Amino acid sequence: MEFLSSLTLSVFCIQVLVGLSKATILFIVASGLTLILGVLRIPNLAHGSLYMIGAFTTYTVAVYFGQSSAGFWLALLLAPLAVALIGLAMERGLFRFLYQRDHMMLLLFTFSFALVFGDLVKMIWGSDYRSLSVPEVFQGSFSLLGTPFPRYNLFLLCLGPLFAFGLWFFTRRTKLGKISRAAAVDREMVGAVGINVNLIYSAVFVLGCYLAGIGGALVAPTQNITQGMDQSIIIEIFLIVIIGGLGNVWGALLGALIFGLTDAIGILLAPQFAIVFPYVAVIFVLLFRPQGLLKSVW
Amino acid sequence: MKTLVGTLAFAVLAACVLLAVPDAQAAKKIKVGIVDCYSGPPSTYTNDVRDAFALAVKKINAQGGVLGREIEFVTRDSKFKVDIGLAAAKELVMREDVDILMGTINSALALAVADLAKTEKIPFLATFAKSDKITGEKGNRYTFSMNENTAMIGKAAAVGLAKLPYTRYWIAGDDYEYGHAIAEGVWNHLKLLKPEVQLLGQSWWKVGEPDFTPYITAMLAEKPDAVIVATGGRGCVPFLKTAQATGFNKQVPFYMHTATELSTLKPLGTDAPEGVIGTANYHSHYPDTEANRAFVAEFEQAYGRTPAAGALYGYITAQFITKAYQKAGKVDTEKFIDALEGLSVDSPIGEVTVRAEDHQVMLPMFMGVTKKAPGEETLTATDIVVIPAAELMPSAEEIKKSRAK
Repeated sequence: MEFLSSLTLSVFCIQVLVGLSKATILFIVASGLTLILGVLRIPNLAHGSLYMIGAFTTYTVAVYFGQSSAGFWLALLLAPLAVALIGLAMERGLFRFLYQRDHMMLLLFTFSFALVFGDLVKMIWGSDYRSLSVPEVFQGSFSLLGTPFPRYNLFLLCLGPLFAFGLWFFTRRTKLGKISRAAAVDREMVGAVGINVNLIYSAVFVLGCYLAGIGGALVAPTQNITQGMDQSIIIEIFLIVIIGGLGNVWGALLGALIFGLTDAIGILLAPQFAIVFPYVAVIFVLLFRPQGLLKSVW
Repeated sequence: MKTLVGTLAFAVLAACVLLAVPDAQAAKKIKVGIVDCYSGPPSTYTNDVRDAFALAVKKINAQGGVLGREIEFVTRDSKFKVDIGLAAAKELVMREDVDILMGTINSALALAVADLAKTEKIPFLATFAKSDKITGEKGNRYTFSMNENTAMIGKAAAVGLAKLPYTRYWIAGDDYEYGHAIAEGVWNHLKLLKPEVQLLGQSWWKVGEPDFTPYITAMLAEKPDAVIVATGGRGCVPFLKTAQATGFNKQVPFYMHTATELSTLKPLGTDAPEGVIGTANYHSHYPDTEANRAFVAEFEQAYGRTPAAGALYGYITAQFITKAYQKAGKVDTEKFIDALEGLSVDSPIGEVTVRAEDHQVMLPMFMGVTKKAPGEETLTATDIVVIPAAELMPSAEEIKKSRAK
């Protein structure tokens, strides 16, 4: 490591942290997608739209409370719940009738949802840019040997492991989690032992939507809240879910880490061509493990 | 039976033809067809163009219109897509029978409509598209540009930056036509004005990049004296936001076109960074003249918001249309174009002229620095330096040369 002076080492470390905080958001959103994909077998193209709705709802709630810090925390609580409710309506209202259908059919249905949600967002919030302040405690940045790191990103970094642990706990330690894993493997068998599979499906779909919503709520203070957020994230999270192994939550974590870190390090090493780095990583993974890094439930 | 069907069909056909004949009232109007992106983020800019145009048209009509005719306009949404926008423009020409085409914030679409204008022999007044090709190498008799272009932005920024003590630069921007055109424009002119400048490197991100933190940390690592940020529309707001969160502007000064402009600063509220160098064609508070104050008051009263740069473009377009028809003396395309060439109007920012040689409107550029003002909800531009249009425009010779290519 001789070529790294103390200064560039600090830049490198900060850049890794930046990559990890980006990976956190990607993981939270992608884990919701992969849960739904694994258990319900729905390739939900509207997942990005739910993330967008999460961000817009956060904006509305926070502004309603005068853009105060308390308003933001309240929004962080309420917005994902609102998205989860939309998820419940989607699952009970439509998807439960379609589980026996072809995947292509489901894909088209979710695609239509993405288009409808896009228009709804335009109708409700208009097409202006929206921007939300970072809550007061996280404003500004701290610096490591002269390289700044936004405080809010530090907050995101802390959330990453928390969500990973939470999902681990849910899938491995709770009854609902265990049953949903079983339902992912064999729906008929789970039904045959007298478990209400429909309820499990609803719960998992709602949880997945909740994760999309909280992802949107968390990025709201750092980005433009605008139409098109859905499209920019849906491609990334689908790639993450694919390289991680379809339906595997740990795969989503691994995929998000690969995506976030190659992106950040790529920008440091070759800023002219940084855009391609995560995609090159995806190609490499798929060349050597076309089924994804971890075990796919499909 | 067959004859009955035939008769009925003929009757329907005849009715259609009869109904399609425009009534006398409609023929007496001057019709402007606007194609622009009204869905998605660009509408932040284009709504101002349309609304200010409507405001001016309403005033003109109230005074009896032009040559005894009222001006009316119809709009079509391009959805920021070239094919959709071009189809809409064709539809406006063929079905709506418009006298003038106007609009498009999308440069690629503006160039396509300019081509259509040339073949259909219909005037096209481009608003907000910033490619210098529109009045430069691809310019034609029927096409006019009602706003600054990338060459003018580049020159303005270079003139301003050359006066500052920085030599080691970094360039960063959107990886598409606009980003590269701005960056090249600024850099080439800056090198001419100040040969000792040095380019340390460049970073390019995809259009619509939501998270700039990794780019900013990487740029800081290179320790440039200043950064030229060539991002437009979707990129300005999130970039400024990240610059504020990371304290980027406090460590490295940076320049960004439209950073000082209201459309960019408004969504950020007081969350925008101070000290960012920007250029813009219009500020509601500058120049502090009678004409500008009156325009701002009028716009605010009509729409309940402060006019941004797009409003100036829409307003002067209506002024130019009116005055050109008055000068031409009749509603005739060729006479209208002859009249518009070299024409001047009194705009909110003073007298502006359409240059006869290339059909480019000569707008001055205002270079300023963002600053928080006590009690204000958004940051404003201060320390404004005016760079007159004559210093920004490529010479008529250069235009001729580029068109001959």
